[in-house]
Amino acid sequence: MRWFRFAVFVSLVTVLQASLIDTIAVTNIKPDLLLILLVFFAIYCSTTEAIITSFTIGFAADIIIVGSAMGPRILSFGLLGTALAYLGRIITIRKMPYQSLAIFITGFLAGAMVYLLSLLKGQPTTSGIFVSLFGTALYSSVVGPFLFLPSAWWMRIRKRV
Amino acid sequence: MLLTWFTLAGLIFLFAPQRLTNKFQFTFARIFRWPLSIGRNFTLSTRAQQPLTDIISRRESQYQNHIANLREELLQERQKVKKLSGLYNRYVWEGVKFVLADVITVTVDESRGELIINRGQIDGLAKDQFVLGDNSIIGTISEVSSRTAQVKLVTDSTSKIAVKIAGVGRVMQGNGNTARVPLLPIKYKVKTGDIVLANKKPGFLDVPLIAGRVAQCKRDDENPSLWDITVKPVCDIERLNDVAVIIMNPQ
Repeated sequence: MRWFRFAVFVSLVTVLQASLIDTIAVTNIKPDLLLILLVFFAIYCSTTEAIITSFTIGFAADIIIVGSAMGPRILSFGLLGTALAYLGRIITIRKMPYQSLAIFITGFLAGAMVYLLSLLKGQPTTSGIFVSLFGTALYSSVVGPFLFLPSAWWMRIRKRV
Repeated sequence: MLLTWFTLAGLIFLFAPQRLTNKFQFTFARIFRWPLSIGRNFTLSTRAQQPLTDIISRRESQYQNHIANLREELLQERQKVKKLSGLYNRYVWEGVKFVLADVITVTVDESRGELIINRGQIDGLAKDQFVLGDNSIIGTISEVSSRTAQVKLVTDSTSKIAVKIAGVGRVMQGNGNTARVPLLPIKYKVKTGDIVLANKKPGFLDVPLIAGRVAQCKRDDENPSLWDITVKPVCDIERLNDVAVIIMNPQ
């Protein structure tokens, strides 16, 4: 793993997620670029690297939402990224439809975990949260696999994407 | 082992006081202020090429807000003159400081409505101060760091501000992209288009200012003797590039 490239990449994607992502929002539903990155690294890196990248991406996801409690995304992204990395030892997720499915399921579970952990922390939530969660997971799963190729090129990951 | 340590770190973040963890978020907003602002400007320019009619209607809306505020000021001043005739009373905006701030990021969705602005404690900002956008109240300062601050919009699901509607004081609650005014008996005459004013709050706002307009007004489904009022902000918050924070008693 090229950690310097990873740091630059995550910083860039975090800024994009916090600012430019609104340009492609559809009825307030936006793709989650950090979720796509999480699945990418969980699929294409070793288990140890996947753990580090998952928690780091979770930290980035928490840091861009100013005023919200920190921790829910660190934990949900970290644990789900790790689980996906372990799953990758058993099932190879190489084809785009499977990658799409992995992003969708991870996105939905991560969102649900964030919701529950936010409740635990006493953060306010709204009733329509699961609709927006479903929309975000779906949008990310459609866009995600197409971003794997440039991500693999930037990270110099030689495995076939 | 690595997983355990990271999970532990995550739990520490989760249960740490929010005023401490917010510092990380404010630091991010401050460090990446420049690319975030550029990204936001780009988003605004690509979202819609503003036609001339949009620009004119926004200007018109600003003037209408200004007129509504002036009317309320005038009314209040007249009432004061009437009540306190002969006694000294200063003009309402005398000595008030307006701190202009650029918007770094905007978060508006079903549950949250927040802005991050590039002014903080060193500029005199403090929690609960009112924030103006296009001459209307758009929210209050909810968190403040040394150089940045977070504005909780009136539409945020956790926002509750005292308002004046149909001449009576009520609490307006945020509801995603709009706000609601509950518990108003139907004996008060309210109709679509009526203005909703943010009520006076000593030390923070000395005169009511426009905060929205009634977008929908119908009888409450559960209790038909009450109104179910939906209020929409009178400015397009997502298009705001700058706001003004009202500091009633500057040091």
